[in-house]
Amino acid sequence: MIAAAELRAAPPRATDVLIVGGGLAGCALAYYLACEGVEVTLVERGELNREASGTNAGSFHFQIALHQLTAFETDNVRDRLLTEVRLHAEAAAVWATLENELGAPLDVHVTGGLMVAETPEQFRLLHDKQEIERVAGLETHVLGPAELREFAPYLADDLTGATYCPDEGHANPLLAAPLFAQRASERGAAVRTHAGVTAVERDDAGWFSVTTQAGTIRARRIVNAAGAWANDVAALSGLRFPIRAEGLHVNVTEPRPRLLEPMIQHIGRRLSLKQSANNTFIIGGGWPAHPEQPPKRFSTSWESTAGNTAIAVRVVPALAGVRVVRTWTGVMAFTDDLSPVVGESALQPGYHTCIATTGFTLSPLMARLLAEHMSSGTRLPAGFSPDRAAVQPQPTT
Amino acid sequence: MRDVETYDLLIVGGGPAGLAAAVEARGAGLSVGLVDERPTFGGQIYKQFGIGFRVRNARALGRDYTRGRALIEAAERSGATLLPLTSAVAIRDDAVVLVADGEHARAVTARRIVIAPGAHDRPVAFPGWTLPGVLTAGAAQTIVKTQRVLPGKRIVFAGSGPLALAFPAQLREYGANVVLALEAGPRPSGRDVARIVRAARGNLELLRDAVAYRARLLRAGVPMRYARIVVRAEGDGQVRRVVHAAVDRAWRQVPGTEETTDADTLCIGYGFTPSVELLRLAGCDFTDAEDLGGPVVLLDEWQRTTVPGVSAAGDGTGVAGASAAVDGGRLAALGAALDLGAIEPHTARARAAPVRRRLRHKEAFRVALRPLHAVGPGIYELADPSTVVCRCEEVTVDQLAVAIDASADVSVVKGLTRAGMGLCQGRSCQRQIAALIARRHGLPLASVAPATPRLPVRPVPIGAIADASLEDGGFFTP
Repeated sequence: MIAAAELRAAPPRATDVLIVGGGLAGCALAYYLACEGVEVTLVERGELNREASGTNAGSFHFQIALHQLTAFETDNVRDRLLTEVRLHAEAAAVWATLENELGAPLDVHVTGGLMVAETPEQFRLLHDKQEIERVAGLETHVLGPAELREFAPYLADDLTGATYCPDEGHANPLLAAPLFAQRASERGAAVRTHAGVTAVERDDAGWFSVTTQAGTIRARRIVNAAGAWANDVAALSGLRFPIRAEGLHVNVTEPRPRLLEPMIQHIGRRLSLKQSANNTFIIGGGWPAHPEQPPKRFSTSWESTAGNTAIAVRVVPALAGVRVVRTWTGVMAFTDDLSPVVGESALQPGYHTCIATTGFTLSPLMARLLAEHMSSGTRLPAGFSPDRAAVQPQPTT
Repeated sequence: MRDVETYDLLIVGGGPAGLAAAVEARGAGLSVGLVDERPTFGGQIYKQFGIGFRVRNARALGRDYTRGRALIEAAERSGATLLPLTSAVAIRDDAVVLVADGEHARAVTARRIVIAPGAHDRPVAFPGWTLPGVLTAGAAQTIVKTQRVLPGKRIVFAGSGPLALAFPAQLREYGANVVLALEAGPRPSGRDVARIVRAARGNLELLRDAVAYRARLLRAGVPMRYARIVVRAEGDGQVRRVVHAAVDRAWRQVPGTEETTDADTLCIGYGFTPSVELLRLAGCDFTDAEDLGGPVVLLDEWQRTTVPGVSAAGDGTGVAGASAAVDGGRLAALGAALDLGAIEPHTARARAAPVRRRLRHKEAFRVALRPLHAVGPGIYELADPSTVVCRCEEVTVDQLAVAIDASADVSVVKGLTRAGMGLCQGRSCQRQIAALIARRHGLPLASVAPATPRLPVRPVPIGAIADASLEDGGFFTP
């Protein structure tokens, strides 16, 4: 871990790349840029990893999820899904080698993941989804009810089937970003906390002059990695991205003897469920948290706990006697079209973004792709441009 | 969640404050629900026997028992709805989620809520504190009072405050072999005694108690030593020896003063800390006073917190003892009755006047005693690098130190180490970790903000929580 003395030191006066946001995307990007020999500074307004990157449930979501399947039938959605599933397959490869790359444990467990169906319609949807995954190169298998009972006897015996993705699993979201930050710092990146950005200007030479709570930094390039708050930061530069913030609620239980190996999701209802490395059950899946005014964090919601655990116990009946010990909330970036927002703005050359909806799964990969692009000019996948908010009318939320 | 019940006043906690509040509120004609997670009411000081015990001679059991009994019977007669074996696990606005018998959660609404959660022992980590045979005064008191079981054969008591005198004397009454009692504070000087006697107006009973406890220990030949704290417990799988040492006014060890006493039981009683989880979850504002136990909720003259509709009373608002808790409970109930228009302002003021006078006297007495028992920062500096601080997750001082080097934020340290994430929900380690952070970063302990409050404030089985009627609310639909 980086010592507080370094995190709270005065930031460099000038840097090639300034990253705004100390979550997983920002910390990973700082690491990959530092590995490429790029001069990089990361500023975070609070502490590292305190928002979505450290408050999500740590799952690798590679299968196409419920929320991605909306408007499933249209061609451009099918293309989008294909692109994303290809990314997921790449992300799986990144996570599989990340502990080696960073030289420390991140509690990465490739456990496989089940996505279950409760009705015949949901089971048909699983077949359709699996076809896209097959085309995109992600390994998934459809399990009928009998196969499913044999494969996962702890599941309710009236489920209609599931898909199984052997690459899914989880890592510890509390460790990933801090380790990236530490390794970045060891390779020369300057990482600074309590350095919220309050103003961004551009000088005649095209450099950004960025005022932070810790001092002013001149930067040749900026990367907005502020997650759910990306548009607050973008507004300082007169930009707007297709991103909004959503509060998320997660539950965790006491530890119990090993019951579940794979992560479990539901194709028709909001559930993600897994037994963590320390044997607690983590139950989430997109239930809302109560918004609060800053500096208060979004508060936990009894209704979300009650509704979310109802689905969990419906799918895994043995959970009925397990006690919920804690709940927590996180605020995640939610992109309007569900695709990542990664790349350089044509409206403001030098201004970049690195943000994704399923950020924990995708951020290390996105950060690596962006670092390669920024250091060697490699092409980023099409369709992620941050300018698409400016050229398309956005749905009001 | 579907069977919604509602009260004018819901009281969480059936100890002295909650019971008194229930009686007072019923007197004003309010409908009252009184919740306590234990099978019997009375809280810790007025603790009653466990289910299955029968009392033949109540007077022989002493004042705390008989007063508690009387208050409980008054609450039973008052017409309040008594809800034992019921935990309050969440609160939001005017709704409290209750779990009865650990089996069924339901939301209860109330026009006013009084939170009277009481206090728990101030957790202190020193080498050997997790050995079997080390227990808190509260735990020892519970097994002695409810089950009539002595905690061991050779008992050392180490602590501070009025309890440091009372508890060994009470244990002695039960026939326990207390071989040594240690008070961390200084031996009272003539000037201390004069100051305390001057503050005795309205507190003669407490003063008489103190004298009686001291006499009882002297009679029993229990050595009582001042300005000494326990520095470690030794033994292999069980306490065998207690090592103690002289301390200065800051409770920091004086070198070369260690002594060892053979014992199989070590009772720790360095005061109490308010149980504030539900108050914090409700969003109440706090201040901090170590001699009241640490976090102290901000209250107005009617015990109202800064959250509309939520009041608080008893040791959960700052540790001041059972009789102050009774008065605080009465004030909170009068305030609620006043807010709801059930009594006239002049009636409320008239009824509150003697209560406030008593509370002022108690406060004066507490202030007079304070120099003798002021908790010294040394109490949080006993752990060595290998001492476990978070027992649930087995996190040691040196593991915490790495995280504390990186951040002064409790939530960050919690995230990096898992300290405070276990079944006790941080009750045992949070203050100790805050003290480690304060020391490392040169901050006042009071300035180290606790972790974000989260529901449930007690562990609850999924089977009790799950509610299939709460279907997906469309979070992911654009």
